[in-house]
Amino acid sequence: MKRIALLLAGALLLTACAAAQPRDTRVTLEFFQFKPEAVETFDKIIKDFEAAHPRVDVVQNHSPTAESAIRARLVKDDIPDVIALNGNSVFGELASAGVFYDFARAPIAADVSPSIQRILDDLGTHRPGERNGLPFASNGNGVIYNKDLFARHGLSPPTRWSEVVAAARRLGAAGVTPFYATLADAWTTLPAFNALAGNVPAPGFFARRTAGKTTFAAEYPQVAAKLRELFGYGQRDRFSRTYEDGNQAFAQGKAAMYLQGSFALPAIATYEPDFEIGTFALPATENPADTRLVSGVDVALTLPREPEHPEESMAFLAYLLRPEVMTAYAREQRAVPPVENPPSDDPALAGLMPYFAAGRLTGYADHHIPLTIPLDQLLQQFLIDGDQAALLRDLDREWDKVAARRS
Amino acid sequence: MRTYYWMVIPALALFLIFHTVPVLQGFYYSLTDSPGYGSYDFVGLKNYASLFADDRILDAYLFTFKFAVVATVATNALALAIALGLNARIHFRTALRGVFFIPNVLAILIIGYVFNYLFANSLPAIAQAAGIEALSTNILADPDLAWLGIVAVAVWQAAAFNIIIYLAGLQTISDDVREAATIDGAGSWRQFVSIVFPLIAPFFTINMVLSLKNFLQVFDHIVALTNGGPGTATTSVSLLIYSGGLEGGEYAYQTANAIIYFLVIVAVSVFQMRVLQRREMSA
Amino acid sequence: MKRANPWLTALLAACSLTVLIPLYFTVITALKKPAELAGAGFDLPDDPQWANFAEAWQVTNYPQAALNSALITVGAVILTLLTNSLVAYAIARNLHRRLFKGLYFYFVSALFVPFPIIMLPVIKQTSLLGLDNQLGLILLYVVYGLAFNIFLYVGYIKSIPRALEEAARVDGAGTWTVFWRVIFPLLAPMNATVGILTFLWAWNDFLLPLVVLSSPSARTLPLVQYVFQSQFSTDYTTAFASYLMALAPALLVYLFAQRWVISGVLRGAVK
Repeated sequence: MKRIALLLAGALLLTACAAAQPRDTRVTLEFFQFKPEAVETFDKIIKDFEAAHPRVDVVQNHSPTAESAIRARLVKDDIPDVIALNGNSVFGELASAGVFYDFARAPIAADVSPSIQRILDDLGTHRPGERNGLPFASNGNGVIYNKDLFARHGLSPPTRWSEVVAAARRLGAAGVTPFYATLADAWTTLPAFNALAGNVPAPGFFARRTAGKTTFAAEYPQVAAKLRELFGYGQRDRFSRTYEDGNQAFAQGKAAMYLQGSFALPAIATYEPDFEIGTFALPATENPADTRLVSGVDVALTLPREPEHPEESMAFLAYLLRPEVMTAYAREQRAVPPVENPPSDDPALAGLMPYFAAGRLTGYADHHIPLTIPLDQLLQQFLIDGDQAALLRDLDREWDKVAARRS
Repeated sequence: MRTYYWMVIPALALFLIFHTVPVLQGFYYSLTDSPGYGSYDFVGLKNYASLFADDRILDAYLFTFKFAVVATVATNALALAIALGLNARIHFRTALRGVFFIPNVLAILIIGYVFNYLFANSLPAIAQAAGIEALSTNILADPDLAWLGIVAVAVWQAAAFNIIIYLAGLQTISDDVREAATIDGAGSWRQFVSIVFPLIAPFFTINMVLSLKNFLQVFDHIVALTNGGPGTATTSVSLLIYSGGLEGGEYAYQTANAIIYFLVIVAVSVFQMRVLQRREMSA
Repeated sequence: MKRANPWLTALLAACSLTVLIPLYFTVITALKKPAELAGAGFDLPDDPQWANFAEAWQVTNYPQAALNSALITVGAVILTLLTNSLVAYAIARNLHRRLFKGLYFYFVSALFVPFPIIMLPVIKQTSLLGLDNQLGLILLYVVYGLAFNIFLYVGYIKSIPRALEEAARVDGAGTWTVFWRVIFPLLAPMNATVGILTFLWAWNDFLLPLVVLSSPSARTLPLVQYVFQSQFSTDYTTAFASYLMALAPALLVYLFAQRWVISGVLRGAVK
């Protein structure tokens, strides 16, 4: 009996040691970030920061389901010291709930392009005029293509919807898979959906939908039809391939185009493609001048409403937001720095940069759709069964249901 | 007598703190619009009213019941058959019994990842080589078939435990009873129906009740295999509560769902025990 | 005695392949080069890649996750055996009293409460009490295990004749002494059963560690597989090496303690 008790005491003691960190004068910051592919990049940034700030330790924490992880942490009232999240509707919702710092009068927000800051603020703030997050990197959401395959088949990036279709048909006829589709991961329907939804319906759709003046059934048939046509040019096993499979397959030259945002470029690069990669904005209409690039805040930085270590957290944030750090990050992660006239010498992004320079940008349509509506799963279902009427009906019905629930 | 109280009080206190209070808190939250943090308002029974009008919830219940019933029946039929085999006179009984129990010591999540790969890559390759068109693509990517993949993994894992329970039941039957029946000239099927099964009926009841209860709460399998897809075809109630409540930010609403779910599980279990026990009596 | 049936043996052996083939597949895939993955993948690797294990070991920080899993499991098993049997004893010997009978049903009814109801409140509570770590998980397993374990123990204790206790009491032993000196040793078979079931639960659990643990350094083996699923990406050989290493400890324990484990479970069922 005594032996068991001793063993038990030992086990508990060990656990307690493993759980509790010894405290001294050093400050340890937890940096929570959501991008598994950026772990190493951030490690490097952290190392440089720590070298300049010997008193501060930064521990990086990343989670594959960052959004539920951060929610669980909020429930625990144990918010990480510095947070990097995708600038999407979860971010907006959390910001509105008042759990993030207000940067409205913080000096470090100065360098950022106002239009990109506005994209982030539009997602939601706790009180009007607050600024609950700072853009760290932007992305461009278009089409990634294999320049060698395009050249071999005499194609150049399309500027009209009909040219997209023509290119896909020509590639298909030549035995080349036009698009590599990865529909086992429902969310991979979204980049193409956003490109279409950002360009086809008249601007202000979501405001009109909220006011009850229009429906998805009235304004989204073309979005759905074009989405279905695009994925119809995907490879045979498109429903059982995942995002990771897609990055690898595209890097191996198994398809000419890939319907993904610039955030997929670093993952593709890890498979060392032996061809040149290009990008273009997906033309959704017959008027090239109308095409706008879907762009959002790929990485937004923020702090808890009341930081535990305000000075150190702010110092790390300021370090991250230094132009040279943002540029270095952008270069490694194939992102666009969120500044006016962003510099980028990345040939893979060259096709998107004119849109940034001219300000021909539009936000992510899916960020306007409440998270509890499983948009990606509805789109996946639609691409499997092709029932367009059902998709539009479900979107309208889910929208009304959530509106009724939250009124 | 005092000592007996002291034996239960600490456990009772911990149980109250970590189980009963959370249940009550959960019930309280289900009457609010809380996302789980920050401020919230009291909304009465509104969440419950919305639940019954939500076809996503209904779909999740339908899927969960379909899955749980099929998996329960398949698990128990298979487990009982294998247990009967293991209880018969065979070679290598101990070794075989040991092998059949292996799935029960493995983590469902990890086994799920292994099967996920098998379904996505190996099975289609075999089916294509054998010319079986129906299986030549990933069944987990097919909204009509994905649930069968989950049933397969669930049965594979759960049968192990039920086999052992049935074996325990079969070993309570003395050889005399059997021999008497054989002398009476009863065939093996008749022997099973009229002698063996009634004697192991209590084990059948416990297996059916526990299997159904566990399968109604299916979570790990689905996270590893389909994550609720394709579309929302394999979204179980547990997964919906977890993903809608944590990722979707509708904690209060999904907690109301969980309360309903609790009532459903209790009702089903009580009903099942009544029916099965009555059968035990009459048999 | 009739002779063993070779046909039935063969049939069962064939059935057992459904158990063995996925395990075989896990082992060979963990040893392959990525280039060997094409096709059905049931052929043996040409040149076993032991480096896959080194890679997985390092990527997932295996020693730490295994240590966490081991600590949590051992802690949960020992504490469960010591406390749950005690509570069950007090209840079993007083079932004729309304209070204890109520307590029995109160604990056992928790079997039917789905975890999602208490999920968020538990997350809040454990964190508030500083128990969002390995220690907290141990405590939760011990407390949540009460429901089923009391059911098992009470049934078993009822079958222990009171005469044994009476004898000890006549010798002047108090209730505590009676329990630890007389009853607890007699519970050994049921302790084995409860220990095995608790071990399997705590070792293989996914949802509770997922929501309770805060620090990455506290992650358990199944949780680590989940977290690194996206990082493995299409590196399936490393992923399988990692799966195998996560499955191996329980498999090895089972291989060595097989008879004991199965008889433990059998006993729990016959009770």
